[in-house]
Amino acid sequence: MDVLFLDAPYSGEVKLAEETLRYLKKKKYSVVGLYASVQFVNALDEIKKQLEGAGITIITSKADRTHLRGQLLGCDNYHQSLNLSEKELAELDCYLYIGDGKFHPLALVYRQKERNEVKEIVCNDPIQKKMTVLGIADVKVILRKYRGALMKFLSAQTVGVMVTIKPGQEQFRPALLLEKKYPNKKFYYFIDNVVSFDQLENFPFIEIWVNTACPRVGLDDQEKFVKGVINLNDALDAEEILGTESVLNGLGVSS
Amino acid sequence: MALYKPELEKAIARIRSSQAKTVCIQLPDGMKPMAAEIEERIRTETGARVLIWLGSNFGACDIPQGLNRMGVDLLISWGHNPFHKKEGW
Repeated sequence: MDVLFLDAPYSGEVKLAEETLRYLKKKKYSVVGLYASVQFVNALDEIKKQLEGAGITIITSKADRTHLRGQLLGCDNYHQSLNLSEKELAELDCYLYIGDGKFHPLALVYRQKERNEVKEIVCNDPIQKKMTVLGIADVKVILRKYRGALMKFLSAQTVGVMVTIKPGQEQFRPALLLEKKYPNKKFYYFIDNVVSFDQLENFPFIEIWVNTACPRVGLDDQEKFVKGVINLNDALDAEEILGTESVLNGLGVSS
Repeated sequence: MALYKPELEKAIARIRSSQAKTVCIQLPDGMKPMAAEIEERIRTETGARVLIWLGSNFGACDIPQGLNRMGVDLLISWGHNPFHKKEGW
């Protein structure tokens, strides 16, 4: 079967709202990490001109799974995926996201959870012609629960591993690394097309879940996993993550 | 005017060049209300049978399964561009 992807680009004008430019100036942000969703990424010329006109330097990159430089996917929520160097990360004053909704820019918050500080995400919505700012406060409750789930995973004996059969998301081979890393735990592998949250309670012997499908499931869908859930790569590095000084560990435990 | 361009001319050109007889259209939630208009344009301009994917369209990682069994020759997925899968995250 042949597949054709169509970007569905935004049909209106793509530019920075006055509010956005005022905010960047007020905060004295002089280096921004510029990213956009696919609907906007091909129309950033005017925004680049506006930023240059305001004396703001742009840093951007091609993320691992994306097709275009400057494009952001919701799954770019792990710190390596954007391919920014430590030098570039240190230079950035903030991220500037062009697009609508919170799903994509929240990836930029999540990906900083293991760093010592979170640089805020200035979101410029060309449709609403408005600006919003995202930061650690927007995911604090989720990350507190997530840290609790990481601790629970380390002590759990029986773990359910969710593997999707969607070819674009299936990560069965990497999931098998769990057995090598934790030989004393019993892992059960569950396969599904989409994650059937309503079925989880039918497996009461599972103490905690490891998600290997979309890496946003383990974060955004925390409340749907009564027993708790963590993402595969965090499961593989759970001790290191909990043992390192970071934003995540500075949030305290789940209340 | 629609917020997002459906680029139907590209869809129709691809259906013609591939001579697809059965086409599945997968739309993001924001474009699902346009399904009737898209179905009609494709059907009248190419004669292809159009099947509308009811379910999710989370990304280019989220291609519907089982379409070969339904005889689908071409899937047209809106709202995404090609995805470069990486083993592990």
